[in-house]
Amino acid sequence: MADLKRFLVRRAVTFIPTIIGVTLITFIIAFVIPANPARAWAGGIKADPHVVATIVKEYHLNDPWYVQYYFFMKGILTNSIVDPLFNYKVMSYMLARFPITFQLTLFALFFLIVLGIPLGIISALKKDTVIDAFVRVWALTGVSVPIFWLGYIFIYVFFYMLGWITVAGVPYPKVHITGIPIIDALLSGDWTTFAENIKRFILPGFTLGFAGIGIIARLVRNSFLEAINSDYIYFAKMRGLRNRRVFMHALRNALVPVVTVVGLQFGGLLGGAPITETVFGIPGMGRAMVQAIFNMDFPVLIAGTLLAALIFVITNLVVDILYAIIDPRVRF
Amino acid sequence: MSSEARREPLIEVENLYVYFYTYAGVVKAIEDVSFTIYKGETFCLVGETGCGKTVVSRTLTNIVPPPGRIVKGKVIYHRDGEEVNIIKLSEEELRNIRGKEIAYIIQDPSAALDPLYVVGYQIAETMVDHGTVKDFKEGFGRAVRLLKEVLIPDPERRVKAYPHELSGGMRQRVVISMGLSNEPKLLIADEPTSYLDVTVQAQVLDLLRELKGKKGLTVLLITHDMGVVAEMCERVAVLYAGNIVEVAPVDELFKRPKHPYTVGLLRAVPNPLTEIEKLESIPGTVPNLIKPPSGCRFHPRCPHATEKCRREKPPLIRVGPSHYVRCWLYAGKGEEVSRSE
Ligand SMILES: Nc1ncnc2c1ncn2[C@@H]1O[C@H](COP(=O)(O)OP(=O)(O)O)[C@@H](O)[C@H]1O
Ligand code: SF4
Ligand SMILES: [Mg+2]
Repeated sequence: MADLKRFLVRRAVTFIPTIIGVTLITFIIAFVIPANPARAWAGGIKADPHVVATIVKEYHLNDPWYVQYYFFMKGILTNSIVDPLFNYKVMSYMLARFPITFQLTLFALFFLIVLGIPLGIISALKKDTVIDAFVRVWALTGVSVPIFWLGYIFIYVFFYMLGWITVAGVPYPKVHITGIPIIDALLSGDWTTFAENIKRFILPGFTLGFAGIGIIARLVRNSFLEAINSDYIYFAKMRGLRNRRVFMHALRNALVPVVTVVGLQFGGLLGGAPITETVFGIPGMGRAMVQAIFNMDFPVLIAGTLLAALIFVITNLVVDILYAIIDPRVRF
Repeated sequence: MSSEARREPLIEVENLYVYFYTYAGVVKAIEDVSFTIYKGETFCLVGETGCGKTVVSRTLTNIVPPPGRIVKGKVIYHRDGEEVNIIKLSEEELRNIRGKEIAYIIQDPSAALDPLYVVGYQIAETMVDHGTVKDFKEGFGRAVRLLKEVLIPDPERRVKAYPHELSGGMRQRVVISMGLSNEPKLLIADEPTSYLDVTVQAQVLDLLRELKGKKGLTVLLITHDMGVVAEMCERVAVLYAGNIVEVAPVDELFKRPKHPYTVGLLRAVPNPLTEIEKLESIPGTVPNLIKPPSGCRFHPRCPHATEKCRREKPPLIRVGPSHYVRCWLYAGKGEEVSRSE
């Protein structure tokens, strides 16, 4: 336990440079863009010069870059910076969108696990058969097909042609517990809202998870094959263990590396899925970021980057802790 | 050794052939191997690395790994007065024998244990799956006693240790305790000490000998080390390139070795209690078994090889009461037999 504490402190210390690095890079990219954000915020070509001047002063736009960076970061972290375009507090705005992104990620994760893992095991057990080839093709397609194209094809088939699902909008239950609509609906037993959420998120979740499913399946396949060909599995058979127990030994060993990859994918998706959210009109953090880019809304952009980076390092940490729990050889 | 007449066979391997069907071709790993293991004895299989000792041991419960297959022969197991041919049994019947009636100790104890489970669990499951304890609770209790029996200090604590928390010698003791857990009729120890430090090797051999005396176990001991043979065994079969070339009681073999390969093996060990890894006194290596040498498989390395040796497979000849040798040098000096004991 003392080990765990030391580990957490050590990791927390490394968080800070990571977060600063990521946000700084985003900031500098925004900073060097040859555009005049103040004028864009004030209304474009016909902007009132007085308003522009006020904005420049308010947002320190004529100050050196490090002053600007400090101002933005401080404003975001203390939730005091107000969006120049829409007048809301930037951090509150992004945080309000987090539950939606979280819900979308949950759906993607669901597919990753319930499809990726069994497909991987089946293709390991039926190595070099049609199923194995199918998974191989899926993995290859998943990483090569653009996600927006896939999203539009799915919408065309399942919404337009078949009418099985609903797109756009997020129905909220009356009760507010976690802020995540589907979980609140589940907790309060609001089955209508629960079903509505499933209808709206199942396709975007599948789209978002599509590439990952193939990757996880291949990973599970290879690590399962490695496990069943290991000496301890052979020795387990030599000891006359029951088939089910031999299988469990192989499975548990095979899943050790999978936990890491699933965890990292989860962390990556949680930062917002810009393309999927835009294609399906889901009001999450990813779509907010895309809109912010179009509007040159730098505060939102940097806040989004900060949140994504924070979420990623935290999930990373959780994955490392989980890893040490499932694999006794790993020490903090 | 007790009188010949009272010896009761436990396992009889008869004219066994095992081939591996690889992409490169058919590996004729084991050809025409016969031997008998009698109840209560320690029988040794000795030979250089790659000559087929492990494969032979795995035929005894028909667990040769693919692409290997037993293509011919019998493995007769004398099971409570009944004779069963292991090769004919179903997977489930074999599972009931493996680890319960015929148990294994394998070479590399580090690879033998699942890294994710405590050793107590792994010892217990060996008993739970054979119904020799009723549940894991009883299994853990038995595991503690077994660990004590294999001389692991502080067994109450060690039973909850993960494999990586134990030393190599300790892990081999855990593997031995698994082998003993169901009180097997036959314990097969496949080079139980070759992955261990020299000092630990002696301890593990001592332990095996002591357990054998205490429990009246029958042991098949596999080794490439003539020193271990001298120390542990009652009868020995010498294996070369998938053939048994000589079978004899241990003192007979050391005093009157017949086969040129055995003679070479013994010359490599001036003092049978020293450790030897490579057999430098016999030049050459074990041949490729996809295209094994014609006639006698040993002829490319044999100082006495003749034209006949290169052309024809030598017969098995009984040169003494329990002494068999497969070599043309002894043709006419004993009775030709189809299998050794
Ligand atoms: N998986 C395998 N594939 C192909 N050939 C094998 C395999 N396992 C064993 N063999 C063959 O069987 C021979 C004997 O192997 P083994 O019984 O492991 O030798 P030993 O235990 O005496 O060192 C090897 O030389 C090799 O030719
Ligand atoms: S049969 Fe010939 S080659 Fe083979 S061991 Fe005897 S003498 Fe040597
Ligand atoms: Mg071997």
